[in-house]
Amino acid sequence: MLVFRKFLRDVSAVIGLVIVLLTAVVALFAPWLAPKPLDAHESHPLLRLKPPSAEAPFGTDNLGRDVFSRVILGSRAALTVAVLVVSGAMLIGVPLGLVAGYRSGWVSETLMRITDVFLAVPQLILALALAQLLGPSLKNAMVALTLTYWPFFARIVYAETRRLKTSVFVEALQGLNASSFRIMFAHILPNAAPPIIVRATIGMGFTILTAAVLGFLGMGATPPDPEWGLAVSESRQYLPDAWWFATFPGLAIFLVVFGFNLLGDGLRDVIDPRLRRSR
Amino acid sequence: MLRFLVRRVLLVLPVLFGLLVLTFVLVRVVPNDPSASLAGQNATPQQIAEIRAKYGFDRPLIVQFGVYLKQVVQGDFGTSIQSGRPVARDIRQRLPATLELTFAALGLGIGLGVPLGVLAAVRHNRMLDHVLRFFTVGGIAIASFWFAIMLQLLFAMQLDLLPLRGRLSAIMDAPKHLTGLYLVDSLLTLRFDIFWDSLRHLILPAVTLSFGSLATITRFTRSGVLDTLQKEYVLYETAVGYPRWLMLWVYVLRNSVVATVTQVGLLFGALLAGAVVVEAVYDWPGIGSYAVFAIFTSDYKAILAVTLFVGVVYAIVNILVDVLHGVIDPRVAEQM
Amino acid sequence: MRRRALTYLGLALLVVATAVTPASTQQSIMVWGDNLPSNLDPHALYDVPSSFVQLNVYDNLYRYEGNPPQLKPWLAESYTASKDGKTWEFKLRKGVTFANGDPLVAEDVVYSFKRVMGMNKAAAGPFKAAKVASITAPDAQTVKFALEVPYAPFMSIIPVLTVVNKKQIDPQVKGDDFGFGWLSSNSAGSGAYVVDPSTYIPQKQLDLKRNAKHFAGWSHNTKPIETVKAREIAETATRVNALIKGEVDIGDSYLPTDQVERLQKEKGVVVQRNESMRIFVIRMNNSKPPFDNVNFRRCMSHAFNYEGFIDVILKKFAERNPAPIPKNLWGYPQGVKGYDFDLKKAQAECDKAKAAGAPVGREIKLHFQAQLDQTKQAGQLFQSDLKKLGLNVALITDTWPNMTTATAKPETSPDMWIHWVSAYFIDPENWIGTMYDSQFHGTWKASAYYKNAKVDELLRAARAVPDQKERARMYADAAKQVVEDAADIWVYNTVELRGVRSRVKGFKFSPVGSGNELRWMSLE
Repeated sequence: MLVFRKFLRDVSAVIGLVIVLLTAVVALFAPWLAPKPLDAHESHPLLRLKPPSAEAPFGTDNLGRDVFSRVILGSRAALTVAVLVVSGAMLIGVPLGLVAGYRSGWVSETLMRITDVFLAVPQLILALALAQLLGPSLKNAMVALTLTYWPFFARIVYAETRRLKTSVFVEALQGLNASSFRIMFAHILPNAAPPIIVRATIGMGFTILTAAVLGFLGMGATPPDPEWGLAVSESRQYLPDAWWFATFPGLAIFLVVFGFNLLGDGLRDVIDPRLRRSR
Repeated sequence: MLRFLVRRVLLVLPVLFGLLVLTFVLVRVVPNDPSASLAGQNATPQQIAEIRAKYGFDRPLIVQFGVYLKQVVQGDFGTSIQSGRPVARDIRQRLPATLELTFAALGLGIGLGVPLGVLAAVRHNRMLDHVLRFFTVGGIAIASFWFAIMLQLLFAMQLDLLPLRGRLSAIMDAPKHLTGLYLVDSLLTLRFDIFWDSLRHLILPAVTLSFGSLATITRFTRSGVLDTLQKEYVLYETAVGYPRWLMLWVYVLRNSVVATVTQVGLLFGALLAGAVVVEAVYDWPGIGSYAVFAIFTSDYKAILAVTLFVGVVYAIVNILVDVLHGVIDPRVAEQM
Repeated sequence: MRRRALTYLGLALLVVATAVTPASTQQSIMVWGDNLPSNLDPHALYDVPSSFVQLNVYDNLYRYEGNPPQLKPWLAESYTASKDGKTWEFKLRKGVTFANGDPLVAEDVVYSFKRVMGMNKAAAGPFKAAKVASITAPDAQTVKFALEVPYAPFMSIIPVLTVVNKKQIDPQVKGDDFGFGWLSSNSAGSGAYVVDPSTYIPQKQLDLKRNAKHFAGWSHNTKPIETVKAREIAETATRVNALIKGEVDIGDSYLPTDQVERLQKEKGVVVQRNESMRIFVIRMNNSKPPFDNVNFRRCMSHAFNYEGFIDVILKKFAERNPAPIPKNLWGYPQGVKGYDFDLKKAQAECDKAKAAGAPVGREIKLHFQAQLDQTKQAGQLFQSDLKKLGLNVALITDTWPNMTTATAKPETSPDMWIHWVSAYFIDPENWIGTMYDSQFHGTWKASAYYKNAKVDELLRAARAVPDQKERARMYADAAKQVVEDAADIWVYNTVELRGVRSRVKGFKFSPVGSGNELRWMSLE
């Protein structure tokens, strides 16, 4: 409760939370919230490239589709990608980190060296290469992002496990002959949760950004998905006249990622006092 | 110190070897048969088989890997299917452009980020601090491709203040090749017209690329300075009556940059990744746009080489950062 | 004292700076803003960007000029064909030299031909069809082709053969690469311009210098352009902006119609509009179900909104061309209506296909070209109409090099893809002949994997008959059959649009090469 109250006092973290919750609501009810939900795939060549108006608050795109509706519908792709990729990466990275941190010797060494290999190249570059090899689609982009994001979790969990392994309660459990599996997952993991949660929150924002880059470069979402990165890339040809077509999807990316980052920052302050921002 | 350096380099080698394996495996699972694309558009199945034999694609993977390893060690990354030139040559030709861009971005990030971080720390929990916080969190939330397009839209298309794309006006010849960095080469050869032109071309890409790192540097400087400000000697010296600006900008800052320096190593990775996008938007003739094109055209030798190359650069920068760290704080070197 | 020294130094620098400032701007330099070919070897590529190198850096025996294109004697002064259409002899012009000063002789032509065939890249395609048995040089001025069977369009494919300098390439050959490793970033031609290899960056920049000693002379152009700097600009809007700002003098020949109005408003830019011979095709891989079902293909053919695409999206800068031969070429099947946009008819055809057991519901992959936005627009339009029929289309970003590789095999060839068939040579053979004769399966042009014995027979017969009237009838008959079978979706014949700065004079359009020939141009 104390933690909760402390969180509420942090204005920017609350703003972050509100943005994230709003995005989630919008994504959930997108087909009902969007004025023209069919514009996800339907085109109206006669209405193309109309500037913002009461009819279409964000204007229309190159195929006459309502940009406002597509921005709303795009929140689904963004959140789906964020949630699936981050949980997928956690599913791989957390157990690996736990095992590597708890065990010592060659198991741990091997696991961490593999992690290092993935971290040796910026994630985007690996993900791009992987997405191309798998064939561009949103699904493959998610696979590529997951396969390149897990090392970040492995690293954090490894460090935390190493720290907790020498703590009194773990030694006591070992004395009680508790199984390694139990110690790792039932005792160490909950204690290592705070930094994982912080990383996951910031990771969501980061993943949305990277997925948008893949979409922008044509290695992610495919038309007619109302994905934001793809929309920005489609809009380029119509600049500078159709500025609205490029502007609003990009703003949407910014807003959502901003929300996640503010939230992650706030959580870090509350949960992990060692990293307190305002000390 | 030397032992530390050697140890640090030795630690990197297995990682680079792993990267070689990884890239090799990646490319080997390509659905497109590389021999088919090497054989060209009119090739018969028989010709494709010949090519497969000639390049050794029919041999066991482990043998192929051995061959690949030997070539890489000799600096031979093979020939690009698209340009018909050795990939190593393509990379060498394009490297200076990327270096110029990343250094400029890093320079901007440090040059602006450090003072902003100090300001935020001094104005801790006041209006300016809050504003800067929104700005630093926002800085890493902007999609660089979108930011690049918005800058182009505003400064190049609407206001017509800066060039839209490229590294130099097409009409200009590149300065004599000395370092490959246009800004440096043009100054050394006293071609101020080229200097001015390439500087103008550099502004938008560098600003775009620096934005994320600027935010990170501001943030880490702020917390470093805050930390130092609470140390006893600072309180003591303040009491003794040192001028405040001297205290802050010299003593405190010097003791606070450690955190920032460590960040620069990590940032370099982000900058290289960012360069891929920024170069693609601004037609910057560097490694990043080369990588995008290679990926687009399944030019697998080029993809391999770029990935490896970035890994090596990244590793070197991180070693340098560690060494620098060791110089600033000798305790670090001892621990390693 | 120190300060004064500094001032002097500054002044001195300023003087130097102004002294060296753009002498370059006074010289005649043109900036070329079209896409660059992937490499500079004229025998490795055979596409629109590479025509820039082929036309300007190299010469050919005969060359197309004007619109409609006419064959002009070029390196050859004349030719004779034997009565049976199997022997073709060319007399070379005397005294022609390569840009490096070596004389250009018959042996070079023979070498060039053997190189094209030996490398077996794109440019070999048309000559493979011609089944050349031997090529010889009886003397330094004579080149003799002997064909296995008569091949009527032989003269029309002759310009595809660009002549390279054997002497210059020989020392550069490594293994069996035919000197590709070297020629891909250098030039060894006799053309009106020469590559400057020192500044070349693949797919980014290419500088050409005028060859003052070009055999055709320069009397036709008193103010030729000395230096041409080709700069690749990846993105259309950027390219158009660069044109407006005067950063480039000429754009690509695929200017999107949306940008036409914008460019027309600009004082310094002229939009060149030229009726071309470039057909826009949506390919269907006839070997993959459900595309192996003719009713399904007809269903698809009825589902594309031709009028919407041409009239609204392209603003009528194109002409409907419902058959695989350009409307403005002989052999076009007059009176063929083709398919109209009618979703009811489409539904009926699709129902028939479904009844016959075709897997109509499966997801269809449609590949478009990333750099050519029109292919994406067409894809999106098609996708949204097919959705109304309950057909799911996945649009996939792809690139030209990638797709031409994928089309080598029916299994890797995409379900559908969109491209143009440009005028590589002027004969129905360039379109229907190489697109629908099953012997070309495995080349990108034949990527429909269409096979019809009657069409094969007609097309092969048309190749052997010298009489153009008879050939025209055969091509028209074949075209009617291909349309009947709905092998692909033929959309329009292009009006080529290209932005050109008004200071560029002498731009001369030809459907072959899209007006890329620099020797006519000058700067005001």
